[in-house]
Amino acid sequence: MAEIAASDADVVALLTRQHGDIRNLFDEVERTSGDERRDAFRRLVRLLAVHETAEEEVVRPFTRSNVPGGEQVVEDRLDEEREAKEVLSRLDGMDTDDPKFLTELLALRLDVMAHARAEERYEFIRIRRHADKDRLASMASALKAAEAMAPTHPHPGTESAAKNIALGPLAAVVDRTRDAVRKALGKDG
Amino acid sequence: MGFNPLEHQGIPLDRQLRSWRELDVEPVDPDRSDPYTRCRVITMNGIEVEAILFSHQFARRCPDPEVKRQLAEVRYVEHQQQKAVNWLLPGLASVLETTIAYEQVAVDLTGWVARHEPDPYLKQAYEFGVLEDFDHLYRYANLYEMIEHRKAESIVDGLTEVMPGRPTKFHHRHPHDNVREPYDRSTTNPLSKLHALTIMSAEQQTMNFYMNVGPQYMEPIARQLYQEIGLIEEEHVTHYESLVDPGETWWEQLVNHEYNECYLYHSFMEQESDPKVKAVWELHLNMELEHLRIACDLMRRHDGREPEEILAPELPNVLTFEQNKAFVRDLLDTQMDLTTLGTGYVRDAHERFEEMQERIHGGEEPPSERVLAQHHEMFGREYRMETEGEHPDPALRERG
Repeated sequence: MAEIAASDADVVALLTRQHGDIRNLFDEVERTSGDERRDAFRRLVRLLAVHETAEEEVVRPFTRSNVPGGEQVVEDRLDEEREAKEVLSRLDGMDTDDPKFLTELLALRLDVMAHARAEERYEFIRIRRHADKDRLASMASALKAAEAMAPTHPHPGTESAAKNIALGPLAAVVDRTRDAVRKALGKDG
Repeated sequence: MGFNPLEHQGIPLDRQLRSWRELDVEPVDPDRSDPYTRCRVITMNGIEVEAILFSHQFARRCPDPEVKRQLAEVRYVEHQQQKAVNWLLPGLASVLETTIAYEQVAVDLTGWVARHEPDPYLKQAYEFGVLEDFDHLYRYANLYEMIEHRKAESIVDGLTEVMPGRPTKFHHRHPHDNVREPYDRSTTNPLSKLHALTIMSAEQQTMNFYMNVGPQYMEPIARQLYQEIGLIEEEHVTHYESLVDPGETWWEQLVNHEYNECYLYHSFMEQESDPKVKAVWELHLNMELEHLRIACDLMRRHDGREPEEILAPELPNVLTFEQNKAFVRDLLDTQMDLTTLGTGYVRDAHERFEEMQERIHGGEEPPSERVLAQHHEMFGREYRMETEGEHPDPALRERG
């Protein structure tokens, strides 16, 4: 197996790091307030949407068709995602300075973390076992195409394409992510 | 007047057994709990594991079936205590996160003990060890950022700095140079016995943890780093266990173990910030008081001696998890280039050390160096958290 430094070509390494990025954004939302918190929370919501969309498009199909018992593994992950999405929808309409916001955010953080750890322990290790190097790499480039849709850091003053998309409505972000992933998969897969 | 565990009554042994429901403790929050709560959990797990392993060894050497049964009964409860304590750790934490917490324990527990150890030879042994665990923390923190894109400060929370200590590659010494001289059980301060047992137990648990979790990683550099640091933990256990007087009888050792558990549960109960965890420390203290009473009875019966002869008249000041930054920085300034020779310490890379280094490294960089090189390749920098200014050693300040 390749060393970590070269593991940009490994979808599992990328997804695991993205889990870290998501947790970092939770931290940022918690320790900021006002506009800063609103901005950090928008980035968190978008990263979650992009991450989950990319997993749906890239990872889940592979698990379903290549991992023994993959259907059930995917079902379990979808159940966790549903729970997290319910909390997220409650949060999404809420003012980030609402006194109840942090309590709900805490619940979301734990749901998202539980889902992420379950992926790492019960799904990703099987992907590494059943995907060859090329497959890990092609899935990785699809994921990177998706990643471009969700900036983790604010880009003040720069009007990049990614920023425009990230500032658009969530459904549009999901659509654009899906398109980008499918295009990348078609090209590399 | 301080707390004298010999004068307090605990929970009768036949009422200490817990049901599944009582063992089903709620874990602490992986991100938002007090880092020192997690440190106390990790420490007490190591203490309970040592109590259990010691009791098993004792039972194997014990011809008296009645004593064996008595040991078994207490040991079963200790196993339950270990489950209740270690299960406070959250399943949401990754192995590396728990590893970083283990190294925080090693730095701040050993640091505190070094600061309070009355015997200068023993103090030096702890000071020597601190700088090595401190460097392990730094290596694992860099690995953590590579694998999980998270910074170790989210775990240690600014309480413990993260920067180079004595470089890990220099920890590989000839095994003969890891054996220290023991204290004298008849003349040493009773506090020194507690310190030695505590640090030995903590390092032993770290050794056991790394030897078991290391192969769970898939990334080659992670697997290799756990191998390297795992071997150093063996050296640390050898180093600390050799401080204990081997002339202590089994009964005496049993009493020391139980007394130390009382001391630590009492200490942690006094300082615990999490009320649910505090309740566990309090319950376990009340169990340990009874274990101590039983151990004292066994000692009187089989050793013909009074436990008071070997114990302090009251518990020493509570052992505290707190910042040791200034202390560690002072060591970084003065003890970086130390190694061991025989039972002492020297500043020269002597022949036996050099030969060991050549053989184990085989002319290549060890994993502890390669992890930093790979991190640098990924991020263009290394991971450090220097909250009190730049590194005291100019040679170890970050380049660029």
